[in-house]
Amino acid sequence: MSAPPLELRGVSKTYPGEPPVESLREIDLTVENGDLVAIVGPSGSGKTTLLNVMAALDRPTSGSVRIAGHEASALGDRELSGLRAHHLGVVFQQFFLLDHLTALDNVASGLLYRGVPADERRRRAATALDRVGLASRMTHRPQKLSGGERQRVAIARALVGEPSIVLADEPTGNLDSATGAELVALLQELNAQGSTLVVITHNDEVANAARRRVVLRDGRIVA
Amino acid sequence: MIERSRLLPRDVLALGTSAMRSRRLRAALSALGIAIGIAAIVGILGITRSSEANLLAEIDRLGTNLLTVVNGSGISGVESELPTQATPMIRLVPGVQSVAPTAELANENVFRSDKIPVYETGGLAVRVADPSLLATLDGSLRAGVFLNAATERYPATVLGYQVAKSLGIDSIGPSTRIWLGNHWFTVVGILDPLPLAPEIDLSALVGAPIARQLFGYDGHPSHIYVRADTSRVVQVAGVLAPTANPEAPDEVSVSRPSDALAARAAVAGSSTTLFLGLGGIALLVGAIGIANLMVISVLERRTEIGLRRALGATRRHVAAQFLTESLLLGTLGGLLGVVAGVATTVALATARGWSISVPPVAIVLGLGAAIGIGGLAGLYPAARAARLAPTDALRTA
Ligand SMILES: Nc1ncnc2c1ncn2[C@@H]1O[C@H](COP(=O)(O)OP(=O)(O)OP(=O)(O)O)[C@@H](O)[C@H]1O
Ligand SMILES: [Mg+2]
Repeated sequence: MSAPPLELRGVSKTYPGEPPVESLREIDLTVENGDLVAIVGPSGSGKTTLLNVMAALDRPTSGSVRIAGHEASALGDRELSGLRAHHLGVVFQQFFLLDHLTALDNVASGLLYRGVPADERRRRAATALDRVGLASRMTHRPQKLSGGERQRVAIARALVGEPSIVLADEPTGNLDSATGAELVALLQELNAQGSTLVVITHNDEVANAARRRVVLRDGRIVA
Repeated sequence: MIERSRLLPRDVLALGTSAMRSRRLRAALSALGIAIGIAAIVGILGITRSSEANLLAEIDRLGTNLLTVVNGSGISGVESELPTQATPMIRLVPGVQSVAPTAELANENVFRSDKIPVYETGGLAVRVADPSLLATLDGSLRAGVFLNAATERYPATVLGYQVAKSLGIDSIGPSTRIWLGNHWFTVVGILDPLPLAPEIDLSALVGAPIARQLFGYDGHPSHIYVRADTSRVVQVAGVLAPTANPEAPDEVSVSRPSDALAARAAVAGSSTTLFLGLGGIALLVGAIGIANLMVISVLERRTEIGLRRALGATRRHVAAQFLTESLLLGTLGGLLGVVAGVATTVALATARGWSISVPPVAIVLGLGAAIGIGGLAGLYPAARAARLAPTDALRTA
């Protein structure tokens, strides 16, 4: 394994306006294979902005973002899409599951844009759901699932393609503390099985479980 | 090398139908406009084609070798006289099969009985006819018999189809009489409609001898029917005018009644343009309906679009999903419309006893137009969906 899954050098993001908002300032961050990194910081410190840049959903104003060894700023929209399909898995705070699909098909959609045929997508989705402990909920639609279950569906969708790195934004934000603890256990287990994870969180439990902690304040890494 | 995002064609199709499948009513309603437009166009083309085919078949059946000779100077619509020698002279023209002279008696009227006031003539005419008329016109009788050498000497009449209808006579008995030129005439026969000689439909026919006796008929024909060899119709038509009236051939007009029927078929065909225009307007409305639905759909599914981009969809993949959806809506509308249009044509043609003839080009063009419209209507919404930046799409609230 050569390049690290994620490497940020001097990344800044400024939103234009009066006055302009400097959401990220000179971020340097390398995530190695097998890492479990927690990004913490107060509200408005730039965590979500950082996630969007890491997930190749947004471009930094300056600096370099390398995903699986590819310099993102040099890539066009199609190549960035390719990186997202093959190297990145994202778990959003609101999960963004599709209501009209079953849990299994929601997870399978994680492979949709790799051109994997439907039956193989389903087969791998079943494995991923099994990994997050939801083997018994495959045919349920999101409306019929609890918040914690939905979250695990979202995690399974990010994992199903075994991407280079999984990025999760506030995964405990919507959950009570008991479910939060289960999630911590799950993240640790997945990490132990070899997944590289970056978790943005307010939750101390999650932060403490991580091997590395990155503290953001006013768009800067302070610890 | 970065691996590309890929979306299998089968998956594009599945994505394109997913919104339709979860919102069936909405999809059906938005496809309705297209369906109505296509149904109108296919139906109108089908109906005109079927009726045209029917008319042409009728012309074929009636034959195109009947000619009429009229002294065409009657500005009032009243036929004027031809020389008495016209009929025997025409009979000598090579290629003529049969000739039947008739003469309109403009001063005589037809009534159901002698109690009807004289001014209510109802557009019906009294016409002197030769017994050879029925064979020359290739006509048939609805009831009774035609005039013959015996009955043409007596106050007997054969009614044209419209005359019988107007007078309310639908069957004949020994005592069925009408008041014709101030005399009672016994009705001996009723004709079937004669599409090539509509003036006979409007006439009560009487024999020449009785007309001479009662009305002072002078023996001049005014309207002569000529049946010619099919292969020599044009040559015969060319010499009829000078033959019928050598002194004033310019006043004679020779016509082929089947031409008028053919012209009617052409006119029926041309009036469809208007209806096709209306169908086109329905299509436009349908296109706007689909475009509207797609724009709303893109707005409603912002987060879905953002999610798909995060999962690796390219702009093209997003555009393809929405374009497929609107193409399929157009196709659905087109299929519904073609089915409805063909069904209408079949129903109408069956009801009128026509043979069914839907031009395949109407079906192909109808479906093609529907799909094309679906595609056009989806272009702008699909482009909008594709342009959406992932982070903007994912921002909730
Ligand atoms: N699209 C945008 N346009 C302008 N400013 C923005 C935009 N997105 C974020 N910001 C600003 O950038 C800063 C960082 O926002 P960000 O969402 O990254 O914070 P966060 O750390 O995720 O906060 P929270 O913990 O509340 O989610 C904030 O001051 C925010 O107002
Ligand atoms: Mg945030």
